Amino acid sequence: MAEKLIPVVCPYCGVGCRLYIRAVDGYPVNIEYAEDLEGISNENGKLCPKGNAVLEYILAKDRLKKPLKAKEQGKFVEISWSEAIKEVAERLKAYAKDDPNQLMFFGSARTFNEPNYLIQKLARMLGTNNVDHCARLCHAPTVSGLKQVFGAGAMTNTYKDIEEADVIFIIGHNYAETHPVGFRYVLKAKERGAKVIVADPRFTRTAWFADIFLQHYPGTDIALINGLIHVIIKEKLYDAKFVRERCVGFDEVVKAVEKFTPEYVEKITGVPAELIVEAARTFATAGKGVITWAMGLTQHTHGHDNVRLLGTLSAICGYQGREGCGCAPMRGQNNVQGACDMAALPNVFPGYQAVTDPEKRKFFEEFWGVELSGEVGLTVIEAAHAIDKGKVKAYYVMGENPVISDANANHVIKALQKLEFMVVQDIVPTPTLEFADIVLPAAALLENEGSLTNTERRVQWSFAAVKPPGEARPDWWILSEVGKAVGFDRDGSKGFRYNEAADVLREINACTPQYRGITPERLKANLAGIHWPCPSEDHPGTRVLYKERFLTPDGKAHLAAVDYRGPVELPDEEYPFILTTMRYVGHYHTITMTGRSEALVKRWPEPLAEIHPDDAAKLGIKTGDWIKIETRRGVYAIKARVTRAVKKGVIAVPWHWGANVLTNDALDPVAKIPETKACACRVTKISEKEACEIMKKLPNPIPQIEIVKG
Amino acid sequence: MARKTIFIDFSKCIECRACEVACEREHNGMSFINVFEWQEMAAMALNCRHCEKAPCVEVCPTNALYRDDDGAVILAPQKCIGCLMCGIVCPFGIPELDLINKIMGKCDLCAHRRKEGKEPACVATCPTDALIYGDFDEIQRERREKFTEKAIEVAKKAEKISLLGV
Repeated sequence: MAEKLIPVVCPYCGVGCRLYIRAVDGYPVNIEYAEDLEGISNENGKLCPKGNAVLEYILAKDRLKKPLKAKEQGKFVEISWSEAIKEVAERLKAYAKDDPNQLMFFGSARTFNEPNYLIQKLARMLGTNNVDHCARLCHAPTVSGLKQVFGAGAMTNTYKDIEEADVIFIIGHNYAETHPVGFRYVLKAKERGAKVIVADPRFTRTAWFADIFLQHYPGTDIALINGLIHVIIKEKLYDAKFVRERCVGFDEVVKAVEKFTPEYVEKITGVPAELIVEAARTFATAGKGVITWAMGLTQHTHGHDNVRLLGTLSAICGYQGREGCGCAPMRGQNNVQGACDMAALPNVFPGYQAVTDPEKRKFFEEFWGVELSGEVGLTVIEAAHAIDKGKVKAYYVMGENPVISDANANHVIKALQKLEFMVVQDIVPTPTLEFADIVLPAAALLENEGSLTNTERRVQWSFAAVKPPGEARPDWWILSEVGKAVGFDRDGSKGFRYNEAADVLREINACTPQYRGITPERLKANLAGIHWPCPSEDHPGTRVLYKERFLTPDGKAHLAAVDYRGPVELPDEEYPFILTTMRYVGHYHTITMTGRSEALVKRWPEPLAEIHPDDAAKLGIKTGDWIKIETRRGVYAIKARVTRAVKKGVIAVPWHWGANVLTNDALDPVAKIPETKACACRVTKISEKEACEIMKKLPNPIPQIEIVKG
Repeated sequence: MARKTIFIDFSKCIECRACEVACEREHNGMSFINVFEWQEMAAMALNCRHCEKAPCVEVCPTNALYRDDDGAVILAPQKCIGCLMCGIVCPFGIPELDLINKIMGKCDLCAHRRKEGKEPACVATCPTDALIYGDFDEIQRERREKFTEKAIEVAKKAEKISLLGV
């Protein structure tokens, strides 16, 4: 009965904090801060409120403990693992035989690299590239945008560089609230004298610490960034040597930003012209600068262009390839980067090797020993529409919750009802799980071991600290059993015979160039992890990318010239407000985990819609009143909070509780991300009774499923 | 005797309430630190100040409140009769009634963690170092030093500018 301290990685956001679980024989007693570990992303073992409450969701009473089979929607019977695996494998095989593209697979940014590798391997070996995960809904534009500008879609630098920067430009990102431990580095830089520029439609907690605050309207990012570039070019503040030697396309940029004078930008964005000039001067002349962004910037139909412009802004100032500089997209979940690296994406093989490239495809055909499809697969939102057309008939969903997380959720629900077969592999009941035919109970992150890649490309090993409840099994185990049952039971990389998670990582080492030197042995010995790219076992990992050349074919940064496009849906007479979504520090994603933690629910019990005092006065709304928000896609009831944090004409709603019934699913043409962050809406005051009526019709974020006998 | 307690640099507080959740976990579901937001502009955490001249200790009729070796004001639960006197005299309203056991509860600077040589949980977890566990004199001195450094830096810059003849 010895108490042990087991090092794990926090199961929440993309910072990838280390902590210890104090456990006795697999039962958790408490947590302990990892103050003794050097070089980890959370210095001195610091944790945010979610990190402090990690044990609560694991001990939730409604954890899934046995495989389930649906009798009707929401009613399940318990079955054995062998029955469940057999049924899943047979159904998958049948669809694959007919047409593999009837299948759609969802990876998960909330589980390890290994299961994500396995789910895409399963999809591809079955003959389809229809595999995607929730990065589509958060950072798809980052991956596609940065790839076009710099040649790769990952953060170019690390937290250390944020700390060493002289200016930090935070746009569309409530850093203090979404990544409190990461925000530590911003404050440390500020203490050293660095300037902080924040651009956000809301006056967020991040903005409390801003030296310059640019409050623009949702969806006007292109105008704002173009305005900054305009001033920098006009006043010749750019790094001419860097532009000459390492960039192409500068002349087009000069032409494209010509009309974006501060006065013109003020008209579009609502930001005073002199602030734009001041921000541009501060940013360009600082010497070392970091740009960081998140969903406020990416969740737009022009998200891809937004990111390209930020890359351009960073490059023309010469803020690339040096310490203390770079572009830092902040990932929401602890393994978004890893799930993308492992290719839970429809267009690439592991390590971002395009499925359309015959040479890469040939490598994987030999590696996995099957013929592979060269056709780019479907993304999350496209899959929901493909069901309508009868093209997709079966979903395999691992740790995802599209009913709450996808834009235009009402449509997603209708689509899921039309599916012929759906497998959900998760740790607790979710609204998505209610539509499942087979439910596979998975072990949670702390009950499981494997590697995770945080937002700064740091790959870390997390050890199993707690025993899974009932018959719940690790994700890699479930997928390898399904794989074998489907018929892929050869040895080595050609089949699904694995004894432990480390076996899978060894296979990843063999086929993913960036991960070649990141072996399980190295990760287990080095708790602080290794930054990819790490091409060999004696390579220390890479902190700053692009020191000599960019990863584009010609080695240069491809600057982007982009003209202004606003949100697809603008306010009009019928829907006079702009709706944007936000998040709370105590909640995470679709509250499947945080919603089961008493300490967090007590502090952040309900969503509140933020509305400007002038608008509130016009509509007769006071803080605490119930309001109804309507868009062209849905209706949502929520309590109001009157605050100056938002601009006039803007309504901000936290999305954790299912506000996506309202949002627009218009897609960015390149990144295929829906425009969750801006759409037109109308607001009316309602009674509590009316609010209850509306809420009854919405999916419950924490549903109770019924388990019946026989 | 150097007395250590928790100080707050509210210019760094981001109202994430990690301290509250950490305290609650270490103290069986009761948090003895609370974060308040001021006018949507700034936040600060408020916990027991472990006052030099602590009114709660002076007023306690059963001597349930006492000072431990590190100078923290601690409650001896077996002596507490739940009379609420300490809660009334405390200028910050810190001691709270534990509704189940009918005795008072208050911050003990994580006595169990200090025994192992660790900082109180709220300080250990604070992502932005807004909470500092230390000796008041030392913290004051550090702040003065930092301020002086900045002043010298500004003076040097001014000198340079005047040398350039601007």
